[in-house]
Amino acid sequence: MMTNKYLALPPGISEANFDLAIAEFTAILGADRVLISEDLLKPYTKIMIAEPTEKHDPSAALIATEVAEVQKILKVCNKYRVPIWTISTGRNFGYGSAAPASRGQVILDLHRMNRIINVDPVMGTALLEPGVTYQQLTDYLKDNKIPLWLSCPAPSAIAGPVGNTLDRGVGYTPYGEHFMMQCGMEVVMANGEILRTGMGAIENTTAWQVFKWGYGPYLDGLFTQSNYGVVTKLGTWLMPAPPAYKPFCIRYENETDIHDIVETLRPLRMANIIPNAMVFASAIWEAAALFPRTKYYTGKGATPDSVLRDMIKAEKLGAWNVYAALYGTKEQIAVNWDIITNVVKASGKGLIITEEEAGDTQPFKYRAALMRGDMTLQEFGLYRWRGGGGSMWFAPVAQARGAETLKQMELAKSILNEHGLDYVAEFIVGMRDLHHIVDVLFDREDPVETAAAYACFDKLLSEFAKRGYAVYRVNTAFMDKTAALYGSTKQDIERSIKHALDPNGILAPGKSGIYL
Amino acid sequence: MSIKQTRLAGVAIFAGFVTCLAPPPHAAEITPPATIYAHVCGYCHGTNVGPIILGKHIAVDVIKLYVRKGPNAMPAFRPTEITDAELDALAQWISVSQPSPTEHGQ
Ligand SMILES: Cc1cc2nc3c(=O)[nH]c(=O)nc-3n(C[C@H](O)[C@H](O)[C@H](O)COP(=O)(O)OP(=O)(O)OC[C@H]3O[C@@H](n4cnc5c(N)ncnc54)[C@H](O)[C@@H]3O)c2cc1C
Ligand code: HEC
Repeated sequence: MMTNKYLALPPGISEANFDLAIAEFTAILGADRVLISEDLLKPYTKIMIAEPTEKHDPSAALIATEVAEVQKILKVCNKYRVPIWTISTGRNFGYGSAAPASRGQVILDLHRMNRIINVDPVMGTALLEPGVTYQQLTDYLKDNKIPLWLSCPAPSAIAGPVGNTLDRGVGYTPYGEHFMMQCGMEVVMANGEILRTGMGAIENTTAWQVFKWGYGPYLDGLFTQSNYGVVTKLGTWLMPAPPAYKPFCIRYENETDIHDIVETLRPLRMANIIPNAMVFASAIWEAAALFPRTKYYTGKGATPDSVLRDMIKAEKLGAWNVYAALYGTKEQIAVNWDIITNVVKASGKGLIITEEEAGDTQPFKYRAALMRGDMTLQEFGLYRWRGGGGSMWFAPVAQARGAETLKQMELAKSILNEHGLDYVAEFIVGMRDLHHIVDVLFDREDPVETAAAYACFDKLLSEFAKRGYAVYRVNTAFMDKTAALYGSTKQDIERSIKHALDPNGILAPGKSGIYL
Repeated sequence: MSIKQTRLAGVAIFAGFVTCLAPPPHAAEITPPATIYAHVCGYCHGTNVGPIILGKHIAVDVIKLYVRKGPNAMPAFRPTEITDAELDALAQWISVSQPSPTEHGQ
């Protein structure tokens, strides 16, 4: 419901009661850090997913800068049963952006809680507040001449390590699986208590950012992709800058080559000869960095395969494009480079392109930047491909096995094309898994196409599940469905934990399909 | 904008000059438009992701609207990222800016 005063109200809360909660929030933060006017809330409502914006309108946004403020805010939320949706840098594009899972939740915006509490140049560790952006951290390292590298997701400059890690996001360096590199956190629980995980519970510890597990049950995972606490500090490992760096691309001609790519490169990844989270990018992903699809196709619906083949030829793109890198001394790199070039040659396909050969061209340049944790927003070219700003990431996990990738590719492509949408995908390579990242791109200005995108996403989830596949993360429109696909036992346990830790259900109801 | 509020970052270097930043944590200091442009807008505008906006004499109000609303492929920016005061200065600066020789694209 929209009132004269509020863009939305939290479900089940009267305007009069919400007035009282807002008055208490204002007493804690001051009026300028309690946003309620539609004008001020506008940027919080911008979403890319295929649901009406109104479904995700917040009732207010609170700007906290201190842990003590968060504690006081949660107290008020408990008192009035006000649901609160926490964001750190709030750039969860294609997963829901800054907007809450459901209408009427209050957003807790921690972007201004942005102290770099500690960077240890010797240990290669950082302890950060939620609002720190990758840009801020990279500036800090440069200004202080600290030779450590970051690992960032593609929208690096404006996103941040805390939010990204808490949603279990990925980057492209050897530290690309970000939650694996996380070490220690501070969490404000729903009742206002402060938990420090791992070694952080020991007074005067020096090991909080160096030993992940602490003692007893490992708790950190509970606070990722969840609604069990508000994380106010997060430790993370940073990679020592290597003396030399060699990014490269391998271009493959045919869509079905994805099978051989995986089989050829998996052993190199598992043996750490290629140490980073390399990427296999599809032709359209490459093309989108350069031009809109109208350059080759002005019709409606999915881009025909014949057009794609012409485009690939004319633009000298690969049907699949591998981006990987080597890190270390020149001598180490030379040894590994020999192994890689020999393996690729022996496989009988794949054209290797070095940085020298690629020169200043995109998308090589931005891929090279990402694989060394540099700032870029070049990948937003994806949204020019079709226009209209619609995007949802369909991100099923696969074994790093050729037959599986081929099967997933064919299934995803046929479902997308059936809905008039294109297969725009990359595989991000983990230690043994692949994150198959499909950008379901659609024109959000066009209601018919938006409805098709919603139906498409729904079907992708269902059809993949029938074959034993599920996503690693999902947007706010499909969290319930995804939770159901993971089964009722898991859901029941998650609900029990929710009851124990947040008995009034104030924290981010619906995150990952978890409710009271 | 956030970059300014880092307690530890005593010094920020941008475009060859050094600014001393040792502010109290939440002081209402303003990040200069050129810094915001370089750290945010300039990653898309002038790199063939968004349209070129420098030297185009775009009206101040239009710029402010784009930044807060984020139409289509452009993200929206919240007041926790770019304050109203910073946006006023940024929009002015862009509106009267000269084209940049290093930018390319549409
Ligand atoms: C072109 C493009 C490319 C992308 N590439 C990648 C990529 O390579 N890898 C990748 O991982 N993502 C990618 N993304 C998705 C997304 O933009 C990033 O993951 C981004 O880092 C998430 O936003 P954030 O870092 O600001 O986190 P936030 O939006 O701040 O947080 C993410 C979520 O975590 C939870 N959360 C945040 N803070 C807290 C807290 N303090 N306490 C408890 N819970 C909290 C909330 O549920 C929140 O919604 C891409 C998006 C685009 C548009
Ligand atoms: C992630 C990429 C990205 C970033 C960052 C970005 N923009 Fe944009 N911007 C775009 C895109 C794409 C468009 C075209 C939007 C459309 O299709 O309407 C655009 C459009 C605009 C326009 C309208 C231009 C015109 O000629 O119509 C203005 C003004 C603008 N942006 C200002 C800014 C400012 C100021 C910033 C920095 C605070 C910024 N943008 C940051 C991508 C970006």
